[in-house]
Amino acid sequence: MSDQTDLLQGTLDLLIMRTIALEPLHGWAIAHRIEQISGDLLRVQQGSLYPALHRLEHQGWITAEWGASDNNRRARFYSLTRAGRKQLTTELSKWERLSEGVNLVLQGT
Amino acid sequence: MRSWRILRTGLASLVFRGRREADLDEELRFHVDRETERLVAAGAEPHEARHQALRAFGGIEVMKEECRDSRGTAFVDHLARDTRQAVRRLRRDWRFTLAAVLILGLGIGVNAAIFSVINAVLFRPQAIVNPDTLVDIYQNAPGGAPMGSSYAAYLDMAAYTDIFAGSTVTFIPHPVTYADGGPPRQAIAENTSASYLSVLGLSPALGRWFTEAEDALNAPPVAVLGYRAWTTRFASDPAVVGRIIRIDGMPVTVVGVGPANHAASMNFGAHTDFWMPLKTLVAFGAPPRMLDRDVAEAAFMVKARLRPGVTVAQAQAAMTALGSRLAREFPREDKKAGISVFASRDVRIHPQMDTVLAGFATALLAIVGLVLAIACSNLATLLLVRGAARVKEVSVRLAVGATRAQLVRHLLTESVLLALAGGAAGCVLAWWMMRWLSTLDLPVVVDFSLDFRVLGFALVLSFVTGILFGLAPALHSTRIELWQTLRDDGEVRASGHRRLSLKNSLVVFQVAVSVFLLAGTGLALQMVAAGRAQRLGYAVDGVAMLQTDARYVLNTPADQSRLFEQLLTRVKAIPGVQAAVLTRDLPMQVAGLPIAIDGAADGTTQDAGAASIWAGPGFFETLEIPILFGRGLDARDREGAPRAAVVNEGMARRYFGTANAVGRRFRIEPGDGQWMTIVGVARDTWTNDLGDIVDPVPYLFYRPVEQWNVMPTTVVARTTLGEGPLVRALQVELRRVHERLPVLTAKTMRQVLDDSLQVGQGMAAFFTGLGVLGLTLAGIGLYAVIAFAVARRSRDIGIRMALGAASQQVVWPVTREVAALVGVGTAVGLALWLVAVLVMRVAPVETSGVANIQLYQPRVDLLAMATIAAFTALVGLAAAYVPARRAARMDPLVALRHD
Repeated sequence: MSDQTDLLQGTLDLLIMRTIALEPLHGWAIAHRIEQISGDLLRVQQGSLYPALHRLEHQGWITAEWGASDNNRRARFYSLTRAGRKQLTTELSKWERLSEGVNLVLQGT
Repeated sequence: MRSWRILRTGLASLVFRGRREADLDEELRFHVDRETERLVAAGAEPHEARHQALRAFGGIEVMKEECRDSRGTAFVDHLARDTRQAVRRLRRDWRFTLAAVLILGLGIGVNAAIFSVINAVLFRPQAIVNPDTLVDIYQNAPGGAPMGSSYAAYLDMAAYTDIFAGSTVTFIPHPVTYADGGPPRQAIAENTSASYLSVLGLSPALGRWFTEAEDALNAPPVAVLGYRAWTTRFASDPAVVGRIIRIDGMPVTVVGVGPANHAASMNFGAHTDFWMPLKTLVAFGAPPRMLDRDVAEAAFMVKARLRPGVTVAQAQAAMTALGSRLAREFPREDKKAGISVFASRDVRIHPQMDTVLAGFATALLAIVGLVLAIACSNLATLLLVRGAARVKEVSVRLAVGATRAQLVRHLLTESVLLALAGGAAGCVLAWWMMRWLSTLDLPVVVDFSLDFRVLGFALVLSFVTGILFGLAPALHSTRIELWQTLRDDGEVRASGHRRLSLKNSLVVFQVAVSVFLLAGTGLALQMVAAGRAQRLGYAVDGVAMLQTDARYVLNTPADQSRLFEQLLTRVKAIPGVQAAVLTRDLPMQVAGLPIAIDGAADGTTQDAGAASIWAGPGFFETLEIPILFGRGLDARDREGAPRAAVVNEGMARRYFGTANAVGRRFRIEPGDGQWMTIVGVARDTWTNDLGDIVDPVPYLFYRPVEQWNVMPTTVVARTTLGEGPLVRALQVELRRVHERLPVLTAKTMRQVLDDSLQVGQGMAAFFTGLGVLGLTLAGIGLYAVIAFAVARRSRDIGIRMALGAASQQVVWPVTREVAALVGVGTAVGLALWLVAVLVMRVAPVETSGVANIQLYQPRVDLLAMATIAAFTALVGLAAAYVPARRAARMDPLVALRHD
């Protein structure tokens, strides 16, 4: 049970970090971007998006700044920190190894 | 690193809480607005779109909480919130809060006060430069326990210059009188070698320390003022350096002021007022023999500074070698027990005294700890009662989804807050008590000020108290069967029984401990009474004494002697005076001395010990002590005549095998070698120390002042006209002999005896204070429990009264409950006490190198026990009175409506 949660949580973190690696985004945009890119295959639970953002910020991997949104309102923009970039690289290679392994098992049987 | 970040965000979250909350709100609002816009753009109705956007979040408050949690600041947030709520609740129940803070304040205050005394004596470090390289060196007593060193042995130790870079010797601090223009005052003097301050690595605050040349026999006496003495007794006057003051009547030149951060050579909080060269002791009347080889003459304390690179073990090896050499070279004087070296930081006063003091301190803390235990269990009682009264509130909160852990946390926060407030009150109380203590005219000025150790002690005590004694009630009051408490009548019968029994046992505990403490009072009073009932064997009624010091006005012994003769003549001429005598110290004051008994027939000597009392011609007539054989001391026993002594019957029988020991000889050993011939045997008497009731018959010998090359200090007289007027008459005569002769002591014999009971009376006061405090606290606890019981039974009582029960019948169950609690508590306390008495009676005599300590063997005092039981019952009744009366006067109508 807890393993599954961890996995999902880790996945969300990975997706968030990957999304803001290109440019700083605010929460709503992150959720929207993830859904768009995944072709609506992935839905981000909004109830878990913000806790995840705050957790990542607390861990020092992402940082937030107030800025103007596209419709000129104050919004919190998240961007990767240097530590976050490094973390993203490790997470990505971990993820690739994991999915590779899972694929091998699934195709093997 | 990580923990630092948590701490930083935690602190920041406290400080910037408001802003962060606003940020979070704004961020989420932006999200909802943006999502709404998107949905509207996709064709939804604005109102419906907003709804949908909000719904996507789930519970927005829950999510906010998760955001806070994920920041790692939840703990701090919760703590802050719990604290705010607890403060609000405590302020609402201010009566309860006040009672709890007072109770804890008293408990913690008494503990902090006693701890600060112990702190001053045992814990405060001494200012020494490089304490790691300083050692204390002691010649051992037979048996190997470290004692003190002879002066000659010190010189041998100091000669090890390859081991020691420097060494110094000190003599035990002793009381002196001093005068600087005005009348003489009491002070503490300490004699050291000239090297003392430099070996410690300190330097004088003003002027200089004395020199090697000033530490010589026949050198004019000089002194260095202790820093504390300079500021308090000499008003920090720099002009005091170079001034001549009088110490014990002798003119002494002040050459400097000691360092501000150094109190005394022995680190127990006492302050030395005057530092003087070691050999000045001889100029002040000590026999030059004290500088000899035999440690029995005088024991000195040696400190030495190790050379760089030398270890304590190496120093010990060198001193062991010296020990064997001394044993070889001085077979007669040396005790052959070796020499011990200690790192100075491991020694406070003396290795053996430290052990005794630590034991004493532990016992003291244990006793006052009992008061704290009472206060704590009291707080627990109050919390339980309060918890029981809040059953409904707790039930409602549980019902709406609060977890038990949260409730326990709330209640714990409350009790820790209470304990901290109590701790603060305790510190104020301790500070106040210490201030009072330092206004007392104690012979030794000890710095009792509160420092960080005392405050830390109080803080830790408060925390432990709060958690320990908040936990049980918190767990208790949250263990609730919901369906029961939420029923309309709100009474908790099923679980109520258990909670009440915990409360009851707490009250029983409080009563028992208080009774035990009061029994301590009983013991102390018993000792005082035993002292008073002592068969003295000498006159007290009509006897008065006056102590002076002729050296303050005259310089030569011949002149001083003449002055005393004049005084004696005048005193004898006072109307009503029957007899008078010149002597030293207080009358019947003893000094234990080693002696050697002359075997006479077989030419051998036997080593023994006895107590010396200074006397003179007319002593036995003045104090009406019967002479059994031979004669008392008289005019024949003057300077130059063969040394005479009178011994008491006990000593005669013990050392000479017969009551009639007239003509036999003994001498003080080591001493000047001269024999004393026994000229008379006096009947056994007690000494002037009524507090010392252990020794059944002290072995006493009386020796005339005149034959020992010392000056009298005291005139004792007996009158038929009342001792009170005699004390005044003695002072008048003193002024007539010489108007500037100081009155050092002027007392009746009765006052002298009463003074000797001060320790016992102090002990009695100490235990009474603690016992009454404990019983007061127990009374409050009892009141709370009974009041609660009455309130809980009010429906029951109301029904019974409505049915016609008399108020006595209603009061009876309440009374019975009080009687049971107090009765059981008293019985337990007295039983504990009986055990303690039995243990004290079978305890063996403890023999340490410093003193023979025999515990007083108490009797089982039934009267005292009955008194304590009655007193306790009275307190119980007083505590129960108000709630019982409320029960008796209860209006049935109101009672039945009582929720």
